[in-house]
Amino acid sequence: MSTGEAVTMNHIYLHIIGGEMNKIMNRILKISVFFTFLIFIFPSLSICQNYEVKKVDFRSYSTYTRIVVQIDEATGYVIRDLSDPSRILINLYPANLNIPEEKIKVGDKFIEKIRLEQESKSVVRLVLDLNKNLKPEEYTHNTFILKDKNFQNFVIDVRSSNEDIIANLLEEKGSFTFPSSDLPISSDKMNYKIILDPGHGGKDPGAIGPTGLKEKEITLSVAEKLEKMLEDQLGAKVYLTRSKDRFIPLDERTEIANQLGGNIFVSIHANAGFNRRAKGVETFFNSRYAYNKEAKEVAARENISFASEDVPVGIKRILWDMVQDRYRSESNRLSHIIQEELCKAIGLEDRGVKSAPFYVLRGAAMPATLVEVCFISNPWEEKSLRSDDFKEKIAWGIFNGIKRYLQLRNEK
Amino acid sequence: MVFKKKGKLILIYILVGIVIFAAGILFAPLIIKRGYQIKKWISKPFVAPQGMRVIRLYFSSPDEKCLFPQEREIIVSSQMTEEIKEVMEELIKGPEDSSLSLTLPSETEVRNVFVKGECIYVDLDFSLSKKHPGGSTGELITVYSIVNTLLVNFPSQSKVQILIQGKPAETLAGHIDIREPLGKRMDLVKEISES
Repeated sequence: MSTGEAVTMNHIYLHIIGGEMNKIMNRILKISVFFTFLIFIFPSLSICQNYEVKKVDFRSYSTYTRIVVQIDEATGYVIRDLSDPSRILINLYPANLNIPEEKIKVGDKFIEKIRLEQESKSVVRLVLDLNKNLKPEEYTHNTFILKDKNFQNFVIDVRSSNEDIIANLLEEKGSFTFPSSDLPISSDKMNYKIILDPGHGGKDPGAIGPTGLKEKEITLSVAEKLEKMLEDQLGAKVYLTRSKDRFIPLDERTEIANQLGGNIFVSIHANAGFNRRAKGVETFFNSRYAYNKEAKEVAARENISFASEDVPVGIKRILWDMVQDRYRSESNRLSHIIQEELCKAIGLEDRGVKSAPFYVLRGAAMPATLVEVCFISNPWEEKSLRSDDFKEKIAWGIFNGIKRYLQLRNEK
Repeated sequence: MVFKKKGKLILIYILVGIVIFAAGILFAPLIIKRGYQIKKWISKPFVAPQGMRVIRLYFSSPDEKCLFPQEREIIVSSQMTEEIKEVMEELIKGPEDSSLSLTLPSETEVRNVFVKGECIYVDLDFSLSKKHPGGSTGELITVYSIVNTLLVNFPSQSKVQILIQGKPAETLAGHIDIREPLGKRMDLVKEISES
């Protein structure tokens, strides 16, 4: 009896366990079905949602206005110039608006306002209403796409077609065709475009030496000597961002270089410090930026109302950093070679190469460097800078650096 | 019995109430007189510790190749912005030691300091850029002596935004971009023991 009871008890027990097991198995099955469902649904979701316009931003520069559209994936686009009233229409396809339709007031030299609309299903329309005073023949635009890890930036630059500075440069240099974005470099001939940037100028004298020597004079004089050497001995096309004693804003200097499609950008400066004992040669290139953190900071700062006309807006600076960041290792190399050759040529103390956030280098779409040839604030070095012979030596040093860098690049 | 006990208790309560009321009337003039003190004591239970604090200031080596720390004492303030202002003023005063070099024009004035999130905003007057010697090295030294000094002494913050006359400026004298908040650069610092 007792054994029979035990058996039935056992049976019931097993039954109960079986029931539990069944329940658990059922649950596991349900969960796994759910997960497989998820696995299938995610890619399809991402296919549908990838073409999302996330953000539109703009920045006015003295010579152009840049509009940046942030999209998850590169989309196709159609761009048209329309008149009455004059406007530029851009249709992005496939694309969906992730943000509410927007009207952004710009009110600068080129653009009155920007309109962002969902034109129809998966077509986003961007309309740039141009400034009423701008005649159709007075502006031009170009577009390009900058890729980041997580998104694409669709960039439209609207600039005036008769660019004063560029026109001036071209007048001096003769005929010139606008370059394509990626210049093929011929291997047998040194067919380079070199942009030299004599620092300061005009109302900005730069640093001033103990006996009154002005940095702006030194930088222009060295640049002119260097220009001659590069043209005569390398057959390179050389452009100076200024050939006179005139003031040019920093962002305009890189803008000139980019428009001319330079292969390298060399900014020439004379150094200064608080202590007159500071001396020697030092070369700089642009430092890397932490985009995401930076973007957050900028966004955080936007919430503070500054009484400034130039309140920074979102992504455009990060974009500039991306432009120069692409050439960071090349800029580093160019800086080191110039530093080495310049020290060799003039025999002054080698202070080394440093990276820092340089305004003038930030937007350059080419390897870029800033050379501080020596200290104008140091009485001895200022005295040397007064001699034409010494400036010739400086130009020779930088010339050797540029030459060696270009040769190395040619070998690659 | 039980009823009586309860009555006794109530009586005691009433008595205590009367005593407190009487005491209140007695001390009323005193409470009114010292009321502001009591209020102060209630609303501000925490009294800021009055004392000194050791801060690190980054000055430049005479050849302006790097920054060196120098320690100094300041009076502790209950507000961080006040303390930041004090640290900035000490930095502008320059080094006590003649073996180091100053990093800001001595005429520079601190106009305002405020903190938002993890960023310190330090608003300086235009003599910072007007009286600046210029040069990439000079600017690098100025910018990072400010940034490093503030971030090392106030480790809860991660960035410094330099403002000139209340506005973000492009550069001090045409080189280092100061439009945005900057993080510290300890690679420009050398400890004295190393040299």
